[in-house]
Amino acid sequence: MSTTKAKLKKPTLKVTPSSRVMNVSTSGVLRVNHSSTYARSINASVSRKSFSLAADSKILDKSSVQTPKHTVQVFDENGKDVTPQPLYQPDPAAVMSKHSKIFASDTSGGTMSDFYSTAYQTTTNASFAGPFTRSVFGSSTVSRGSQSTMESMNEEIEDPSSKRDVSISLSDVQVRREEVKELIKEEMLDEVVDRYLIESETLWLLHMPAVSVSVDSEEAESVKERNNLYMELCKNRMGNDKYVERSMQTFNGAPKTKEVQCEAITMVDAATTATTWDMYDSFRSAGLGEAALSPDTDKASGPEIVSNHRLDPTRAPERTMSVISTTSIASASSSRIEMEPFVVPSEDEPDPELIMQSEKFQQDLFVMERVILENIYQPKLAAYRQLPTLEDPDIVPKVVPTVVSRREESSLDEESTLTPALERLWSFSCELTSGHNVSSMAWNKRNPDLLAVGYGQFDFKDQKSGLICCWSLKNPTWPERVFTCESGVTTLDFSASNASQLAVGMHDGSIATYNVESREKTPVIDSSDCAHKHTSPVWQVRWIDHERGASGEDKGETLISVSADGRISKWFLRKGLDCIGPVLPQSLKVVGNLSITLTSPCSQGPLYRITWSPFCSDVFLSCSSDWTIQLWRQDLFTPVLGFTSTQSAVYDVMWSPKWATVFGAVNEGRVEIWDLGASILDPTIVSLASPGVKLTSLLFATETDCILVGDSDGQVSVYQLKNLTVGEGTQVDALDDIIGSTLASQL
Amino acid sequence: MLPKAEVEETLKRIQTHKGVIGTIVVNAEGIPIRTTLDNSTTVQYAGLLHQLTMKARSTVRDIDPQNDLTFLRIRSKKHEIMVAPDKEYLLIVIQNPSE
Repeated sequence: MSTTKAKLKKPTLKVTPSSRVMNVSTSGVLRVNHSSTYARSINASVSRKSFSLAADSKILDKSSVQTPKHTVQVFDENGKDVTPQPLYQPDPAAVMSKHSKIFASDTSGGTMSDFYSTAYQTTTNASFAGPFTRSVFGSSTVSRGSQSTMESMNEEIEDPSSKRDVSISLSDVQVRREEVKELIKEEMLDEVVDRYLIESETLWLLHMPAVSVSVDSEEAESVKERNNLYMELCKNRMGNDKYVERSMQTFNGAPKTKEVQCEAITMVDAATTATTWDMYDSFRSAGLGEAALSPDTDKASGPEIVSNHRLDPTRAPERTMSVISTTSIASASSSRIEMEPFVVPSEDEPDPELIMQSEKFQQDLFVMERVILENIYQPKLAAYRQLPTLEDPDIVPKVVPTVVSRREESSLDEESTLTPALERLWSFSCELTSGHNVSSMAWNKRNPDLLAVGYGQFDFKDQKSGLICCWSLKNPTWPERVFTCESGVTTLDFSASNASQLAVGMHDGSIATYNVESREKTPVIDSSDCAHKHTSPVWQVRWIDHERGASGEDKGETLISVSADGRISKWFLRKGLDCIGPVLPQSLKVVGNLSITLTSPCSQGPLYRITWSPFCSDVFLSCSSDWTIQLWRQDLFTPVLGFTSTQSAVYDVMWSPKWATVFGAVNEGRVEIWDLGASILDPTIVSLASPGVKLTSLLFATETDCILVGDSDGQVSVYQLKNLTVGEGTQVDALDDIIGSTLASQL
Repeated sequence: MLPKAEVEETLKRIQTHKGVIGTIVVNAEGIPIRTTLDNSTTVQYAGLLHQLTMKARSTVRDIDPQNDLTFLRIRSKKHEIMVAPDKEYLLIVIQNPSE
C-alpha cells in the first residue's frame, strides 16, 4: 500500500516545466494524446490477438451499477497480461451514479478508450489505486512505450487545464465507438472534483542506438555472433576470390605557371578648387552659350581678342550691353570651339602680333605708362594738387644738393623760405615740341588736367608748321594728342559746351576746330574754304556763350575771332566755317584781344595781349612790346596804371584767377608775378629764364597756385607759387581801392 | 586702334622712363614676346608673376564674381613691379622709383 500511495503521489506531482520530459509531454498535450493513443493503438495492434474485452470488476461495480461493463484485457505475445490498467480509480464510497451513467452508455463497446474516459471524468480515490498500481508495477516487461503511455495518462489526468482537450482527443481517436455524452446535470456542478496531475509520456526526438551492447542484454548473444562472423570474414578476405584489390588512377592535370604582365597603371592626381568665380563663370557660359550664338557673330570676327571683362567704351553705348555682348562673344566662341573639336582654330590662337595689336594691350600700355610716371612724378603732382608730399621710406635721401634745377633758377632769395617764390615742378616737353615756340595755352573746360598748347611763331620770319599738343597732367613726357597744322598756331580755345572741341587760330588767318577725343589728326572743320576768312594772323579765337539764342543761330556758342586785319568775325559751324562780316563786339568781356591800337595812343608797339580781370568787370590789362604792362579801365581812354620792370617786350600777361590784385607777366627773360596789393612798382616774384630761352606765354592754373610758362624751346614749365600771401578773399576791394587811389592821385 | 608703330613707340617710351629697369610682355604660355631683360630673368619673372596674378584674380573674383583684376602693383624695398594682367598676356614693368 505504501507503494500504491507512492504511486499515487507520483500522479499528484505537479507538472513542472523544468523537466524536459514533462515539457514535452505537457506542451503538446494534444500531440501527446495522439502519440499516446497511437502508442496505445500500436500496442493494441501488437497484442490484438490477445485483445479481449475485460472489465475490471471492481471499477465496473462501482462506476456502473446498471450496465455490465466489459473488461478489456490485452495480452502480448508471451501471453502476459499487459492490459493497461486504468489510471484512475474512482472512489467506491462516492456515489458516482450519474457519472457512471455517462460512461455506462459509452462503454457498451467496452474499449480501452472508454475505460480511460471514465477514468478521466471521474474522480479517483486512493483506495482504488490499488489494483491499478499493482498491475502497473507488475508489468515490468511492458514495453516502455506503454508504460510511458500510462505515465502520460497519469499526467494527463493531473493536468486540469487539458481535461477537456484530453477527453476530446480521446473521443476523436475513438473511431469505432461514438461517444454519447450525458447532459451535464446541475448536481454535477455542485460536486467537488479532485484533480490529479500526472506525468505524460516521453517523446523521443532522436534515438541513436548504441554501438555497443551490454553483455547482460538479450542482444548480446546475437551481437557477439555477428562480430565473430565479421572477424571470420575479414580473415577470409585475403586470397578470397570474392574480394579483389583494385587500384585506380586518375589523371591530374599538370599545373602550369602562367605569368601575366600589364602596363603600369599610372596614377594621376587631379584636383580642382571650386571657387565662387569658377561656378559663376560656368553658370554664365552654360546659360548664355546657345542663346548668343546667332547675334554678335560678326563681332567675333577679326583678329581682335575680346576679353571677357574689359569693356570697350567706343564700341557699345551702354555699359551693361557691352558686358553682355562681350560675354556672349566669349561664350559663343567657346561653344563654337566645343562643337567643332576637330577643327584646329588657327585664328583663335593669339600669336604675339595679335597680342600687340589688341586694344586691351594698348590700353594696358597706356595705363602702365601712367603708373610709371606717377611713380616718378608723384611728389610734384602732389605739390601741384596741394596735397602733402610724403617721403618714400625706401628712398635713402642723397646728400646731394638738389636745389639746382636743370634749366631754371628758382627764386632769387633761397635762404629764406618765407619769401614768395616760384618752385619749378616739372615741364611738359618732348622731342616733338623741341624747337617750337609756345604761342598759346588753354585749359580744357571740363577736365582741368588737360592742357592744349599751341606752337607757332609770333614773327613773320621762321614760320614752321604749327603744332598743337594736348597734354595731360598725368603724363608730362608725351602729349596725349598731337595735331600738326600748316601754319603756326597763334591761339587756342576750348569750347565750354562741347568740351572736346578745340578752336585754333593760325598765323595764316585760318581757323580750325579739332575734336580732341578722337584720334583723328585732321581738323573737324576748317575755315580754308570760307571766302571771308582772315587774311592775316588770327590773334584770338574765343567761344562765346550766348544766354539768349538769337534767331538763326543753332548753337548756344559761337566762335569769334580777332585777327590782325582788323576784323572781328563771328563764325558759324556748319559744314564749313562761315563767318559773318565784321561784328562789333557787344560784350567785350570775353574777347581778349581787341585792336585797341586805334584807340590807345599810349602804347607804342603792338599789343600782344589784353586780358580782362575776372573780378572787376571793367578793368583790363594790356601788355605790349614797349616793355610795359598797362592797367586800363573801360571807360577811360588812358591807362590807369602802368608797370615796367625790364626793358624787354612783355609777351603775355594774365590775371590770377584767384586774387584780383595778382597778375603774372612774361617777358623775354623773366616771369614776373605782380601783387598790386603789395607793391605797384615792383613785381613780387621774379623768376629768370634759362639763358637762350625766351619765355613766351603764361597761363595760370585754375584751381591751384601754379603757373605755366611756355618758352621758345617748346617747353611748358609748371611752377608753383610759394609763400604768396595775398590776404583773404579775392581782394576785389583792394583792387578798387588801388585804382581809385591812383585815379585820385592823378587828378 | 592705334597703328602698330604707335604700340612699339609706346613700349619704347616706357622703357626709357626714369627708373624703369625692365619691360616684359609674355603670352599666356609664358613665352616672352617682348623683353628688355635676359631670358632666364624673363622666364622667372613671367612664371612667378603669372601664379601671383592668378591668385590675385581668384581672390578678387571670389569676393565678387562680376569684378575682375585690372592691375597689380608690388612694392618692394628695391623695386616696384607693375603687372597688367590679361587672359592672353602679361605686361610686366619693373621700376626703381627712387632712381
